[in-house]
Amino acid sequence: MTTAANATTIAHLADAPAEDRLASAIALVARQFPDRTAIVANAGGEARRVIDYATLTAAIMKLEGELAAARPVGIVARAKRVESLVVIAAACGREHVPVAFLAEDARDLVGELRDWVPLDDSLVLPAAAAAGPRREFETVPPQVVVATSGTSGPPKLVDHSWDSLLAAARLAEQWHGRGWLLVYDATRWAGLQVWLQAMLTAGRLVVPASRDPDLVAKACVDEDVSILPATPTLLRRLIASGDRAVVSTMKLDRITLGGEATDAQLLEQAKQLFPNAKITHVYATTELGEVFRVTDSQAGFPIEWIGRPLPGGVRLSMRRDGELLVQLSRDTAEVATGDLVERRGKRFEFTGRRSDVIVVGGAKVFPKRVEEILRGVPGIADARVYGLPSAITGELVAAEIVIHEPLPAGTTPDQVRAASLAVCRERLEAHGVPRVVDVVKKLTLTAAGKIPRR
Amino acid sequence: MPPLDAIAAAIRTVLHDTGRDAKAISPEMLLAADLGLDSLDLAQTIVLLERSLGVDPFRSAPAAAPRPAIRTVSDLVSIYSSALNSPRPHTP
Repeated sequence: MTTAANATTIAHLADAPAEDRLASAIALVARQFPDRTAIVANAGGEARRVIDYATLTAAIMKLEGELAAARPVGIVARAKRVESLVVIAAACGREHVPVAFLAEDARDLVGELRDWVPLDDSLVLPAAAAAGPRREFETVPPQVVVATSGTSGPPKLVDHSWDSLLAAARLAEQWHGRGWLLVYDATRWAGLQVWLQAMLTAGRLVVPASRDPDLVAKACVDEDVSILPATPTLLRRLIASGDRAVVSTMKLDRITLGGEATDAQLLEQAKQLFPNAKITHVYATTELGEVFRVTDSQAGFPIEWIGRPLPGGVRLSMRRDGELLVQLSRDTAEVATGDLVERRGKRFEFTGRRSDVIVVGGAKVFPKRVEEILRGVPGIADARVYGLPSAITGELVAAEIVIHEPLPAGTTPDQVRAASLAVCRERLEAHGVPRVVDVVKKLTLTAAGKIPRR
Repeated sequence: MPPLDAIAAAIRTVLHDTGRDAKAISPEMLLAADLGLDSLDLAQTIVLLERSLGVDPFRSAPAAAPRPAIRTVSDLVSIYSSALNSPRPHTP
């Protein structure tokens, strides 16, 4: 932001009830800088759209009016456009109407939200909403329903308060007016966090037209993105396959990794490519919200963090088998995270999710470990390791590899593939060596930008 | 591709991928004793054959069905031949 007065006002947003903050923050910017860009949608693509703060706040006020008249029991956000999701969230919060964000793979769960009214990109309440059951105005803050990503098990709906949804948002002045890249699905927890943060702090949300690494890099440069929240998998893809000439001109000053464990190799590459970027790793789940963040650009977290309360009252502990347990506060139960950690020197590093473990003839294989070895093979840009069902051994280790382009003269993809198998044989037990290795142009990823393990 | 050719090609790939010498493969050869294939090698062979022949007779067999002994290359050939000749069960 350009004026100190504004900075103070944004910082004071934290004093407002959480459900009012989004609409208030957007209105605040719209009053002073109506033309300021709020969202650049389809960035880098043909149908690039720019939405300013005045347009956004006008749409919010219009929807607020409709919600006030119809008082639906809840709204299911069915919109595809990010700007519509922002409008729906802000208006529902302001009008104390519960709102649900269901990602594509969680649409079946809508049955659990009986009598809730769907709202699409038209932002017009269907006529049935006015005739349907009405909700009395309650003083209890409304909830926000978000579906889990389904990385481990089928998606399920999780109820949040606006307070928990916004708990991790940074309102201090250093965060104001920044360019944020949204590569996450806007309806999932991680995506919500990014656009809420951007809209609360007079930011510019840049939504690339696709996840193609060249396009993402170009969108970052053209739209002046300075903050990149991403999964390690998406960042790795950008570094490994993005046009190096463009990637190297990206002016990032912050990279926030989350959603998956990261590794020393990726952190090292990111530090070299973006020497001015502060790299943070956020540990969060849809159920727990943000648990902790690691800011020292090293993999894992310091061993001292286990067994003693962290700032904010979070307590981490570990099961005998290495699963990380989290207790958010004294009054809450300990939660098993499904994430396995292992001590390496002065750190606990993540070895993968319990459900990621591939069992080959009774022996356990950690796919992340195999991926790290593959990515270290000269000529390999990126790798994904997963389990294939087998009638003989239960599962079999399989891999996709992306070949560096261009390869040094005289080297073929087949040679790289053979070399990768030789390295794996040298460094892994027989059952851990991938038995199926496919050379691919790009890795298979989940909608959440993570690596699927099956 | 006739099953024997596909099976021989798959076994050669398995041997090559695991750093062993590929050799001439004939039907009477014993998978373990002559070719040195273990259960992991066999599992890989089956995945490769599913790709080249489009069937996995081991997965589509009902769990209760007795699994025929697989000792020789020709045992594999007969399993795949009958799988290819029977109506294709729907596999997701």
